[in-house]
Amino acid sequence: MTALAILFTMASLGLSETAYLIRKRKASELPVCPIGEDCVVVLNSRYNKFLGVHNEYLGFVFYAVVSLIAVLLVVGVGPRDLMAYFAKIMIFGASFASLFLLYIQWRVLKAWCFWCVMSAVTIFVMASVVLTSNITIL
Amino acid sequence: MNNYAFHVLRVGMAITFLWVGVLIFQSPEAWTGFIKPWVADILITTPEKAMIGTAIFDIIVGFLLLIDFWTFWASFFAALHLALVLLVSGIDAITVRDIGLLAGALAMAVNLWPENKNTRSL
Repeated sequence: MTALAILFTMASLGLSETAYLIRKRKASELPVCPIGEDCVVVLNSRYNKFLGVHNEYLGFVFYAVVSLIAVLLVVGVGPRDLMAYFAKIMIFGASFASLFLLYIQWRVLKAWCFWCVMSAVTIFVMASVVLTSNITIL
Repeated sequence: MNNYAFHVLRVGMAITFLWVGVLIFQSPEAWTGFIKPWVADILITTPEKAMIGTAIFDIIVGFLLLIDFWTFWASFFAALHLALVLLVSGIDAITVRDIGLLAGALAMAVNLWPENKNTRSL
């Protein structure tokens, strides 16, 4: 239960953050960068898209699916092992994507985006949870 | 209210409402123990169904707070709901924390009162 609670909390944080970035993009407004001033450099770079879709949209879908799986595992609906396996695949995939994007910020863009780093930290916490606990056991 | 403080409060409150909603869905019958007998007597439905309705309400409010959409109404109804919870379940060692949640929800609603939107946008 604790592992799923942490997963759900992290996914909710991610949902909140990506919802903010999506709202700002739809309104054609610049997001506020709470720490540093390079958010816009990163968010408007060509690396903020994958297959033509902005990363915040992909992130929103990722966090929504992980939070939904956490909810279904807690409530006890659906194939438990399959959902946990799917969540692990998604989280590890997102972790590698986050590592790549951190590298891009560090070495290529030479600019750091608060929201992107926060999202990476969120995903790394999720990865450490699924690595250190069995999320199929309540 | 400070801009960042508001959003920290909003997201924290959202996760609390969402998770409580999920936990009620997990075992609604266990949560009926919080309903006082005099309230159970005047319910127009079974306590289990009332708890499932509460879970749906909590999840909707939590989601609206999380994505910062209709936030005034979400925090207003969150405060109303928490006041109702304190009324129907009384204040004991567990529900006493709802006083803090009620204060947080009220603070957000007051901060977003339709005439006072200047401190909201991040």
